[in-house]
Amino acid sequence: MRGLVWTVVATVSNLLESHERDAVCGDLVECGEGAWRSLVDVLGLVIRRQSQLWKSWRPWVAGFGLVVPSSFLLMGLSVSVSGTYLHLTRHLQPSGLTDASLIQLILSFALLLGWSWTGGFVVGSISRRTLWLSSILYCFPCLRCLREFHIPSMSKFCLLLFLAPTILGIERGLRIGRIGLNAALVFAIAITILALPLWSNPAGGNWRHPSPWILSCVLSWPAWYLVAVAGNRTRDALIAQQENS
Amino acid sequence: MLGEFEYLLITAAAALGEEAYGAAIRQEIARTTGRRCSIGALYTTIDRLETKGFLKTWTGPATAERGGRAKRMVHVTAKCVHAAKGFYNAVLRVSRGSSWAVDPKEYFS
Repeated sequence: MRGLVWTVVATVSNLLESHERDAVCGDLVECGEGAWRSLVDVLGLVIRRQSQLWKSWRPWVAGFGLVVPSSFLLMGLSVSVSGTYLHLTRHLQPSGLTDASLIQLILSFALLLGWSWTGGFVVGSISRRTLWLSSILYCFPCLRCLREFHIPSMSKFCLLLFLAPTILGIERGLRIGRIGLNAALVFAIAITILALPLWSNPAGGNWRHPSPWILSCVLSWPAWYLVAVAGNRTRDALIAQQENS
Repeated sequence: MLGEFEYLLITAAAALGEEAYGAAIRQEIARTTGRRCSIGALYTTIDRLETKGFLKTWTGPATAERGGRAKRMVHVTAKCVHAAKGFYNAVLRVSRGSSWAVDPKEYFS
Protein backbone atom coordinates (compact mmCIF):
# COMPACT_ATOMS: atom_id res chain seq x y z
CA MET A 1 0.00 0.00 0.00
CA ARG A 2 2.31 2.72 -1.26
CA GLY A 3 1.71 5.93 -3.16
CA LEU A 4 -0.35 9.05 -2.61
CA VAL A 5 -3.76 7.47 -3.21
CA TRP A 6 -2.92 4.62 -0.85
CA THR A 7 -1.95 7.18 1.78
CA VAL A 8 -5.40 8.74 1.33
CA VAL A 9 -6.98 5.26 1.61
CA ALA A 10 -5.08 4.64 4.87
CA THR A 11 -6.11 8.06 6.20
CA VAL A 12 -9.77 7.60 5.33
CA SER A 13 -9.74 4.11 6.84
CA ASN A 14 -8.81 5.69 10.18
CA LEU A 15 -12.46 6.69 10.45
CA LEU A 16 -13.32 2.97 10.82
CA GLU A 17 -13.09 0.99 14.06
CA SER A 18 -9.60 -0.48 14.47
CA HIS A 19 -10.65 -4.14 14.02
CA GLU A 20 -12.67 -3.28 10.92
CA ARG A 21 -9.85 -1.17 9.49
CA ASP A 22 -7.51 -4.13 9.80
CA ALA A 23 -9.93 -6.50 8.07
CA VAL A 24 -10.76 -4.06 5.26
CA CYS A 25 -7.15 -3.06 4.50
CA GLY A 26 -6.12 -6.73 4.64
CA ASP A 27 -8.89 -7.62 2.17
CA LEU A 28 -7.75 -4.88 -0.22
CA VAL A 29 -4.14 -6.09 -0.12
CA GLU A 30 -5.13 -9.73 -0.50
CA CYS A 31 -7.40 -9.06 -3.49
CA GLY A 32 -4.77 -6.85 -5.13
CA GLU A 33 -7.28 -4.05 -5.67
CA GLY A 34 -6.16 -0.87 -7.45
CA ALA A 35 -5.62 2.26 -5.41
CA TRP A 36 -8.56 4.27 -6.80
CA ARG A 37 -11.00 1.38 -6.55
CA SER A 38 -9.84 0.78 -2.98
CA LEU A 39 -10.39 4.44 -2.18
CA VAL A 40 -13.95 4.28 -3.53
CA ASP A 41 -14.58 1.08 -1.54
CA VAL A 42 -13.25 2.43 1.72
CA LEU A 43 -15.03 5.77 1.26
CA GLY A 44 -18.26 3.88 0.61
CA LEU A 45 -17.88 1.90 3.82
CA VAL A 46 -16.98 5.00 5.84
CA ILE A 47 -20.03 6.86 4.49
CA ARG A 48 -22.30 3.90 5.32
CA ARG A 49 -20.86 3.65 8.84
CA GLN A 50 -21.15 7.39 9.46
CA SER A 51 -24.74 7.48 8.18
CA GLN A 52 -25.58 4.61 10.56
CA LEU A 53 -24.09 6.56 13.46
CA TRP A 54 -26.33 9.54 12.78
CA LYS A 55 -29.45 7.41 13.20
CA SER A 56 -28.70 7.42 16.92
CA TRP A 57 -29.65 10.29 19.28
CA ARG A 58 -26.14 10.47 20.72
CA PRO A 59 -24.24 12.54 18.12
CA TRP A 60 -27.19 14.96 17.84
CA VAL A 61 -27.35 15.49 21.57
CA ALA A 62 -23.56 15.81 21.81
CA GLY A 63 -23.34 18.26 18.92
CA PHE A 64 -26.41 20.44 19.16
CA GLY A 65 -27.56 19.81 22.74
CA LEU A 66 -24.19 20.22 24.37
CA VAL A 67 -21.30 21.47 22.23
CA VAL A 68 -22.99 24.46 20.56
CA PRO A 69 -24.82 25.95 23.58
CA SER A 70 -22.13 25.12 26.13
CA SER A 71 -19.25 26.53 24.08
CA PHE A 72 -20.93 29.97 23.92
CA LEU A 73 -21.82 29.91 27.62
CA LEU A 74 -18.41 28.64 28.72
CA MET A 75 -16.70 31.36 26.70
CA GLY A 76 -18.84 33.88 28.57
CA LEU A 77 -17.87 32.34 31.88
CA SER A 78 -14.20 32.25 30.80
CA VAL A 79 -14.30 36.01 30.15
CA SER A 80 -16.07 36.59 33.46
CA VAL A 81 -13.43 34.58 35.38
CA SER A 82 -10.60 36.32 33.52
CA GLY A 83 -12.19 39.71 34.22
CA THR A 84 -12.50 38.96 37.93
CA TYR A 85 -8.86 37.80 37.99
CA LEU A 86 -7.67 40.99 36.24
CA HIS A 87 -9.74 43.14 38.58
CA LEU A 88 -8.21 41.43 41.62
CA THR A 89 -4.62 41.58 40.40
CA ARG A 90 -4.79 45.19 39.15
CA HIS A 91 -6.90 46.97 41.69
CA LEU A 92 -6.39 45.21 44.97
CA GLN A 93 -3.53 45.37 47.38
CA PRO A 94 -2.23 42.09 48.88
CA SER A 95 -4.32 42.84 51.95
CA GLY A 96 -7.38 42.77 49.72
CA LEU A 97 -6.90 39.08 48.96
CA THR A 98 -9.29 38.19 51.73
CA ASP A 99 -11.98 40.05 49.83
CA ALA A 100 -15.11 38.14 48.89
CA SER A 101 -14.24 38.59 45.22
CA LEU A 102 -11.26 36.26 45.65
CA ILE A 103 -13.60 33.55 46.93
CA GLN A 104 -15.92 34.34 44.05
CA LEU A 105 -13.00 33.97 41.63
CA ILE A 106 -12.01 30.60 43.05
CA LEU A 107 -15.59 29.33 43.04
CA SER A 108 -16.19 30.58 39.48
CA PHE A 109 -12.97 29.00 38.29
CA ALA A 110 -13.89 25.70 39.97
CA LEU A 111 -17.31 25.87 38.33
CA LEU A 112 -15.73 26.59 34.95
CA LEU A 113 -13.42 23.59 35.37
CA GLY A 114 -16.29 21.33 36.48
CA TRP A 115 -18.69 22.34 33.71
CA SER A 116 -16.00 22.17 31.03
CA TRP A 117 -14.64 18.82 32.13
CA THR A 118 -18.01 17.08 32.56
CA GLY A 119 -19.26 18.52 29.25
CA GLY A 120 -16.14 17.29 27.47
CA PHE A 121 -16.41 13.90 29.16
CA VAL A 122 -20.01 13.43 28.00
CA VAL A 123 -19.15 14.56 24.45
CA GLY A 124 -16.23 12.11 24.36
CA SER A 125 -18.23 9.21 25.75
CA ILE A 126 -21.43 9.55 23.69
CA SER A 127 -20.01 10.64 20.35
CA ARG A 128 -16.76 8.72 20.01
CA ARG A 129 -16.98 8.12 16.29
CA THR A 130 -18.62 11.45 15.47
CA LEU A 131 -16.12 13.41 17.52
CA TRP A 132 -14.81 15.03 14.34
CA LEU A 133 -18.14 16.87 13.97
CA SER A 134 -18.31 17.78 17.65
CA SER A 135 -14.80 19.24 17.30
CA ILE A 136 -15.87 21.32 14.30
CA LEU A 137 -18.92 22.50 16.25
CA TYR A 138 -16.61 23.57 19.11
CA CYS A 139 -14.45 25.48 16.63
CA PHE A 140 -17.17 27.58 14.97
CA PRO A 141 -18.36 29.47 18.08
CA CYS A 142 -14.76 29.88 19.26
CA LEU A 143 -13.61 31.37 15.95
CA ARG A 144 -16.64 33.63 15.72
CA CYS A 145 -16.22 34.95 19.26
CA LEU A 146 -12.45 35.37 18.81
CA ARG A 147 -13.16 37.52 15.75
CA GLU A 148 -15.71 39.67 17.53
CA PHE A 149 -13.97 39.97 20.89
CA HIS A 150 -12.90 43.57 21.55
CA ILE A 151 -12.03 44.21 25.19
CA PRO A 152 -8.74 46.14 25.15
CA SER A 153 -7.68 45.15 28.64
CA MET A 154 -8.07 41.43 27.97
CA SER A 155 -6.35 38.99 25.66
CA LYS A 156 -8.58 37.21 23.16
CA PHE A 157 -7.39 33.92 24.59
CA CYS A 158 -9.30 34.66 27.80
CA LEU A 159 -12.28 33.32 25.83
CA LEU A 160 -10.66 29.92 25.53
CA LEU A 161 -10.04 29.32 29.22
CA PHE A 162 -12.57 26.49 29.13
CA LEU A 163 -10.84 24.67 26.29
CA ALA A 164 -8.09 22.85 28.22
CA PRO A 165 -10.44 21.18 30.79
CA THR A 166 -12.88 20.38 27.97
CA ILE A 167 -10.16 18.62 25.95
CA LEU A 168 -9.04 16.73 29.07
CA GLY A 169 -12.67 15.69 29.66
CA ILE A 170 -13.07 14.53 26.06
CA GLU A 171 -9.86 12.52 26.32
CA ARG A 172 -11.07 10.81 29.51
CA GLY A 173 -14.52 10.24 28.04
CA LEU A 174 -12.99 8.58 25.00
CA ARG A 175 -10.67 6.47 27.10
CA ILE A 176 -12.89 5.23 29.95
CA GLY A 177 -16.40 6.01 28.66
CA ARG A 178 -18.05 6.22 32.10
CA ILE A 179 -17.18 6.97 35.70
CA GLY A 180 -18.29 5.25 38.90
CA LEU A 181 -21.49 6.25 40.70
CA ASN A 182 -19.72 7.75 43.72
CA ALA A 183 -17.38 9.90 41.64
CA ALA A 184 -20.28 10.99 39.40
CA LEU A 185 -22.38 11.95 42.44
CA VAL A 186 -19.52 13.95 43.97
CA PHE A 187 -19.04 15.83 40.67
CA ALA A 188 -22.74 16.53 40.19
CA ILE A 189 -23.40 17.66 43.77
CA ALA A 190 -20.28 19.84 43.82
CA ILE A 191 -21.19 21.48 40.52
CA THR A 192 -24.78 22.04 41.64
CA ILE A 193 -23.68 23.61 44.94
CA LEU A 194 -21.17 25.83 43.15
CA ALA A 195 -23.88 26.90 40.70
CA LEU A 196 -26.47 27.68 43.42
CA PRO A 197 -25.54 31.38 43.69
CA LEU A 198 -26.46 31.74 40.01
CA TRP A 199 -30.06 30.73 40.73
CA SER A 200 -30.58 33.72 42.99
CA ASN A 201 -29.02 36.12 40.47
CA PRO A 202 -31.78 38.11 38.73
CA ALA A 203 -29.55 39.28 35.85
CA GLY A 204 -30.20 38.40 32.23
CA GLY A 205 -33.39 37.16 30.68
CA ASN A 206 -33.06 37.48 26.92
CA TRP A 207 -31.44 35.31 24.28
CA ARG A 208 -28.20 37.30 24.18
CA HIS A 209 -27.85 37.30 27.94
CA PRO A 210 -29.71 34.21 29.16
CA SER A 211 -30.92 33.98 32.71
CA PRO A 212 -28.30 32.43 34.98
CA TRP A 213 -30.57 29.53 35.83
CA ILE A 214 -30.80 28.62 32.11
CA LEU A 215 -27.00 28.80 31.91
CA SER A 216 -26.80 26.60 34.98
CA CYS A 217 -29.22 23.99 33.56
CA VAL A 218 -27.54 23.83 30.15
CA LEU A 219 -24.09 23.40 31.67
CA SER A 220 -25.00 21.16 34.62
CA TRP A 221 -26.98 18.44 32.85
CA PRO A 222 -23.86 16.53 31.71
CA ALA A 223 -22.86 16.02 35.36
CA TRP A 224 -26.31 14.59 36.20
CA TYR A 225 -26.28 12.55 33.00
CA LEU A 226 -23.08 10.90 34.25
CA VAL A 227 -24.88 10.12 37.53
CA ALA A 228 -27.82 8.57 35.65
CA VAL A 229 -25.52 6.42 33.47
CA ALA A 230 -23.47 5.29 36.46
CA GLY A 231 -26.67 4.60 38.43
CA ASN A 232 -28.13 2.46 35.63
CA ARG A 233 -24.90 0.53 35.36
CA THR A 234 -24.76 -0.08 39.10
CA ARG A 235 -28.41 -1.22 39.13
CA ASP A 236 -27.79 -3.62 36.20
CA ALA A 237 -24.73 -5.05 37.96
CA LEU A 238 -26.78 -5.60 41.14
CA ILE A 239 -29.58 -7.32 39.22
CA ALA A 240 -27.05 -9.56 37.45
CA GLN A 241 -25.43 -10.37 40.79
CA GLN A 242 -28.80 -11.29 42.33
CA GLU A 243 -29.68 -13.50 39.36
CA ASN A 244 -26.36 -15.35 39.60
CA SER A 245 -26.62 -15.95 43.35
CA MET B 1 -37.31 -12.84 5.04
CA LEU B 2 -33.78 -12.37 3.72
CA GLY B 3 -32.84 -9.86 1.04
CA GLU B 4 -31.24 -10.86 -2.22
CA PHE B 5 -27.74 -9.72 -1.28
CA GLU B 6 -28.06 -11.20 2.20
CA TYR B 7 -28.91 -14.55 0.59
CA LEU B 8 -25.93 -14.31 -1.78
CA LEU B 9 -23.58 -13.51 1.09
CA ILE B 10 -24.89 -16.31 3.28
CA THR B 11 -24.67 -18.83 0.44
CA ALA B 12 -21.09 -17.81 -0.35
CA ALA B 13 -20.11 -18.00 3.33
CA ALA B 14 -21.74 -21.40 3.71
CA ALA B 15 -19.94 -22.69 0.59
CA LEU B 16 -16.59 -21.49 1.96
CA GLY B 17 -17.18 -23.13 5.36
CA GLU B 18 -14.20 -22.70 7.66
CA GLU B 19 -12.50 -20.42 5.12
CA ALA B 20 -15.26 -17.81 5.06
CA TYR B 21 -13.96 -14.29 5.63
CA GLY B 22 -14.37 -10.87 3.96
CA ALA B 23 -12.08 -11.15 0.92
CA ALA B 24 -12.96 -14.81 0.23
CA ILE B 25 -16.72 -14.06 0.37
CA ARG B 26 -16.31 -11.11 -2.02
CA GLN B 27 -14.38 -13.26 -4.49
CA GLU B 28 -16.94 -16.08 -4.21
CA ILE B 29 -19.84 -13.69 -4.89
CA ALA B 30 -17.98 -12.14 -7.85
CA ARG B 31 -17.13 -15.60 -9.25
CA THR B 32 -20.63 -17.05 -9.00
CA THR B 33 -22.69 -13.99 -9.96
CA GLY B 34 -20.27 -12.11 -12.19
CA ARG B 35 -21.03 -9.00 -10.14
CA ARG B 36 -18.50 -7.02 -8.17
CA CYS B 37 -19.32 -6.74 -4.50
CA SER B 38 -18.29 -3.54 -2.73
CA ILE B 39 -16.58 -3.69 0.63
CA GLY B 40 -19.16 -1.28 2.06
CA ALA B 41 -22.08 -3.50 1.08
CA LEU B 42 -20.27 -6.61 2.31
CA TYR B 43 -19.34 -5.42 5.79
CA THR B 44 -22.58 -3.55 6.53
CA THR B 45 -24.55 -6.65 5.49
CA ILE B 46 -22.34 -8.89 7.63
CA ASP B 47 -23.02 -6.59 10.60
CA ARG B 48 -26.76 -6.61 9.95
CA LEU B 49 -26.86 -10.40 9.69
CA GLU B 50 -24.76 -10.75 12.84
CA THR B 51 -27.21 -8.49 14.71
CA LYS B 52 -30.06 -10.73 13.56
CA GLY B 53 -28.15 -13.77 14.85
CA PHE B 54 -27.62 -15.22 11.36
CA LEU B 55 -23.83 -14.92 11.39
CA LYS B 56 -21.12 -15.18 13.98
CA THR B 57 -17.90 -13.29 13.32
CA TRP B 58 -14.54 -13.19 15.02
CA THR B 59 -11.04 -11.95 14.33
CA GLY B 60 -9.02 -14.56 12.50
CA PRO B 61 -5.31 -14.97 11.96
CA ALA B 62 -3.14 -12.37 10.22
CA THR B 63 -1.28 -13.57 7.13
CA ALA B 64 1.71 -12.24 5.19
CA GLU B 65 -0.32 -11.95 1.96
CA ARG B 66 -2.62 -9.54 3.79
CA GLY B 67 0.29 -7.39 4.96
CA GLY B 68 0.08 -8.88 8.43
CA ARG B 69 -3.54 -7.80 8.93
CA ALA B 70 -6.20 -9.90 10.62
CA LYS B 71 -9.21 -11.45 8.84
CA ARG B 72 -12.81 -11.11 9.90
CA MET B 73 -13.95 -14.73 9.91
CA VAL B 74 -17.62 -15.54 9.34
CA HIS B 75 -19.68 -18.53 10.49
CA VAL B 76 -23.21 -19.27 9.34
CA THR B 77 -25.50 -20.17 12.28
CA ALA B 78 -28.28 -22.79 12.34
CA LYS B 79 -30.86 -19.99 12.48
CA CYS B 80 -29.34 -18.60 9.28
CA VAL B 81 -29.48 -21.98 7.51
CA HIS B 82 -33.20 -22.16 8.38
CA ALA B 83 -33.81 -18.62 7.01
CA ALA B 84 -31.80 -19.35 3.83
CA LYS B 85 -33.82 -22.53 3.22
CA GLY B 86 -37.00 -20.49 3.63
CA PHE B 87 -35.80 -17.88 1.14
CA TYR B 88 -34.72 -20.53 -1.40
CA ASN B 89 -38.04 -22.38 -1.15
CA ALA B 90 -39.96 -19.12 -1.49
CA VAL B 91 -38.04 -18.24 -4.67
CA LEU B 92 -38.67 -21.72 -6.10
CA ARG B 93 -42.39 -21.56 -5.26
CA VAL B 94 -42.91 -18.07 -6.63
CA SER B 95 -40.96 -18.89 -9.80
CA ARG B 96 -42.91 -22.05 -10.61
CA GLY B 97 -44.70 -21.63 -13.91
CA SER B 98 -42.80 -18.54 -14.96
CA SER B 99 -41.27 -18.53 -18.43
CA TRP B 100 -37.74 -18.23 -17.07
CA ALA B 101 -38.05 -20.95 -14.45
CA VAL B 102 -35.62 -23.76 -15.14
CA ASP B 103 -36.10 -27.33 -14.04
CA PRO B 104 -33.29 -27.93 -11.51
CA LYS B 105 -32.60 -31.33 -13.09
CA GLU B 106 -32.11 -29.68 -16.45
CA TYR B 107 -29.97 -26.94 -14.91
CA PHE B 108 -27.53 -29.32 -13.25
CA SER B 109 -27.34 -31.87 -16.10
